Amino acid sequence: MWFQETSKRKQIGVFDNMLNETVENELQQNIDMIRTITGNSTDIVIREFLLGQEQEIPAGIFFVGGMTDEEMIQKLLVQSATQLTIPSSYSREDVLAYICKKIATAGKVKRIKKWHELFLALMSGEAILLIDGVAEALSMEARGGEYRAIEEPSTQLSIRGSREGFTESLATNIAMVRRRIQNPYLWLESIKIGEVTHTNVSIMYIKGIASDEVVEEVRNRLQRICMDGILESGYIEQLIEDKTFTTFPTIYHTERPDSVAANLLEGRIAIFMEGTPFVLIVPALFIQFFQAVEDYYARFDIATALRFLRVLVFFISLIAPSAYIAMTTFHQEMIPTQLVIAVAAQRESVPFPAFVEAMMMEVTFEILREAGVRLPRAVGQAVSIVGALVIGQAAVEAGFVSSAMVIVVSITAIASFATPSFAIAISARLIRFLLMILAALFGFYGILIGIILMTLHLCSLRSFGVPYMAPMAPFISTNVGDTFVRFPMWALKERPHLINQTNVVRQGSNQRPKPTNELEKEGDNH
Amino acid sequence: MLIHVILLSGCWSKKELTELAFVIGVGVDKKGGKYMITLQVVNPGNVAGATQKGGGSSGLPVTLYTSTGNTLVEASRKVSEKISRLTYYAHTNLIVIGEELAREGIKEVFDAIERNPQFRTTASVIIARQCTAKELLSVLTPIDKIPTNQMIKTLELTEKVWGENLNVHAGEVIEILSLGGKEVVMSSFRIAGNKMIGEQQNNLQSIEPYTFLHAGELAVFQKGKLISWMSGEQARGVLWLLNKIHQTAVTIDWQRTKEAISYKVVRSKTKVTAKINNGKPIISVMISMEGDIGEVLVPMDLTDPNNISLLEKKLQQEIQKEVQNTILYAQSKKSDIFGFGEVVHRLYPNEWKQLKKNWNDQYFSRLQVKVNVHAFIRRTGLRNKPYF
Repeated sequence: MWFQETSKRKQIGVFDNMLNETVENELQQNIDMIRTITGNSTDIVIREFLLGQEQEIPAGIFFVGGMTDEEMIQKLLVQSATQLTIPSSYSREDVLAYICKKIATAGKVKRIKKWHELFLALMSGEAILLIDGVAEALSMEARGGEYRAIEEPSTQLSIRGSREGFTESLATNIAMVRRRIQNPYLWLESIKIGEVTHTNVSIMYIKGIASDEVVEEVRNRLQRICMDGILESGYIEQLIEDKTFTTFPTIYHTERPDSVAANLLEGRIAIFMEGTPFVLIVPALFIQFFQAVEDYYARFDIATALRFLRVLVFFISLIAPSAYIAMTTFHQEMIPTQLVIAVAAQRESVPFPAFVEAMMMEVTFEILREAGVRLPRAVGQAVSIVGALVIGQAAVEAGFVSSAMVIVVSITAIASFATPSFAIAISARLIRFLLMILAALFGFYGILIGIILMTLHLCSLRSFGVPYMAPMAPFISTNVGDTFVRFPMWALKERPHLINQTNVVRQGSNQRPKPTNELEKEGDNH
Repeated sequence: MLIHVILLSGCWSKKELTELAFVIGVGVDKKGGKYMITLQVVNPGNVAGATQKGGGSSGLPVTLYTSTGNTLVEASRKVSEKISRLTYYAHTNLIVIGEELAREGIKEVFDAIERNPQFRTTASVIIARQCTAKELLSVLTPIDKIPTNQMIKTLELTEKVWGENLNVHAGEVIEILSLGGKEVVMSSFRIAGNKMIGEQQNNLQSIEPYTFLHAGELAVFQKGKLISWMSGEQARGVLWLLNKIHQTAVTIDWQRTKEAISYKVVRSKTKVTAKINNGKPIISVMISMEGDIGEVLVPMDLTDPNNISLLEKKLQQEIQKEVQNTILYAQSKKSDIFGFGEVVHRLYPNEWKQLKKNWNDQYFSRLQVKVNVHAFIRRTGLRNKPYF
């Protein structure tokens, strides 16, 4: 465990100087100090009691209500106040050492001298024991309190596969992954980020599979963060990503422990954070955003078909409206005669150019979607009813848009929802509008320019030193089996090469299922 | 710089759908030494299937515009005096040439069509038989509301299942006109019924339209000029020789009964090869086909293999006769519509240099053509012996 000792920023608060001092001898003085610094906050529980049987020593136990396991503290109190017999020969310092060894209910016990350490422990949910006459405190691991139960992940559902999703509790989340990878080489490092919030952040990787340089890089980038607070892993993502000015996500995030486990096995590094179910995974590749955990649970042919579908869907959500604009304003010859006449007939009553029409509908749709996301469920239904009118027959009958446009908008919307990763779907949404403008100016030529520029940009991106478009650009033939296609399990012999350069082989050489007699024959040969 | 690229270029080729007049068919006539073009323009709102409010099905699906000019381009530009939208030719699927103009020569017509990037070379070309192109384009049709579509579909269908008409694309015509060794042959359409009624909506109010469009004879050209017509079995012979027969029906005699048995051709292939003997080209044609017995009007036993092979032999003779008839007729007109010259050119490029100068007059008209037919009866239908 490494710990951020020095603050890069000036600390807040009026009592900062006092925090650097050590704990006093007098219990009463200490209690006063805690009261002053926390401003008598009512959720800080201060319980004074007499310690031990033979020798009764005034002591105090402190904890934050709601963040600790109250039952455990209860036991602790009972044990230390009634069952503990302290020999009279012991000095007060000895008593502290004795308790440290004797009290068994708490998981982790630590001796603390400095005030700031004491408060860090107290605020993170540990119980603090202070004994009169000792200038030292004992912090005891007693974290607890209420958390959301483990539920099905709401953003990454799957038909087949684990139903567990991460919760807001860091310890629970870590345990969920460790349960999947039961190996001592699954290493975990923790850091507190946020000058005010002191948020617990952990990085997890498999020693020997993950590249040491990338781990070091992640560590450095996390340590560089100096902010008052981080409240969601999105904060970290924005502070450690390679390039800010891009619409494409260069860090993957997931709510599924099985996804994290799979990524760790490929040599990636997971960043957990207290207070959010979203775990970051670095380095991320473009192709990763088109993959779902289920691809690996389903058989390869089905998984491959689905991946093709997703790439198709991404392109539809990207260029459907701009293709409509380009075809109806520049390239009418491309549309079959019957269709062009039908579309022309619909457009007869629409007063706007195709571009304005498309823009209007797309913006309306984005408004609807945004309204639907934020609204409480009861009102949400009303929005969807009104939405069906706005993007639907009513709009067509009112002569605002043509029915062809309604279809284009709908197919774009469906395509955008079918993209497995929300992060990439949202970037497609932005680029879509750019392409629409290009299509209105130059037709298909403009769309092509836009797509070429997008590809160039994608190829220039890196995620923690790994080219974003790998393994397509640069082309790594051994890894292509797990991109737009997914080869059978036994053919995926090697881990992604750029993510871990050394330890790449992940399975035996004869994993292909065969009839038993053939397997025996092979066995004889070897 | 990127901003400049966007701002300076503008959208010069941008045209909204509502600014375009879709020309679906073009007719070309000659009138008083000037070209007269007829444009059949789609009225999108009135075409069935386009269920947008405003139009309804009361109006006519197409409108005709005509204008005259010294050249086709001049005439087509002058149409703008009458029409509110930009004429757009990318969806022009049919080019109609008036019979009169066809007799004068069609070579000049296709230059404008080939030069214009909007025109498709896959547009079909037909001749208006016994009428002007304008009259042909003025007839309203049932089922396929756009008359042009009606004609193209009719042509495609009849070529496929009957085989006496030929759907020729503008690109093919241009190719034939620009190369030697082959002459143009294309289908014609004529108006059956009263021309005046055909122009009106009334035409469609009757269960049998008063006036309708009828795919007619094949127009035979020589050096880009219409010289003759071919119809019936003669026309089918052309399609045999051009390897264009997909399906058709051949009727043969059996014993003493005339036209007793129908044979449905299902697939057919024609191979034409050439040989040069003593400086004289000899063409041999091999037609092989496969088909079913479609109809038997005399009592006979089709389970007997001897009968079948006899039938096949008769079929071969019948078709051979038909094809040879066609060749003789074309030779008498001195028009190599079958592209025999092209075959010779391909196989004997050196000898062709001498032959090509007088191909039609001297060589083609006296050409020796061997026709071999191989007909095969695959099935006899669901019945073996007729019930009578």
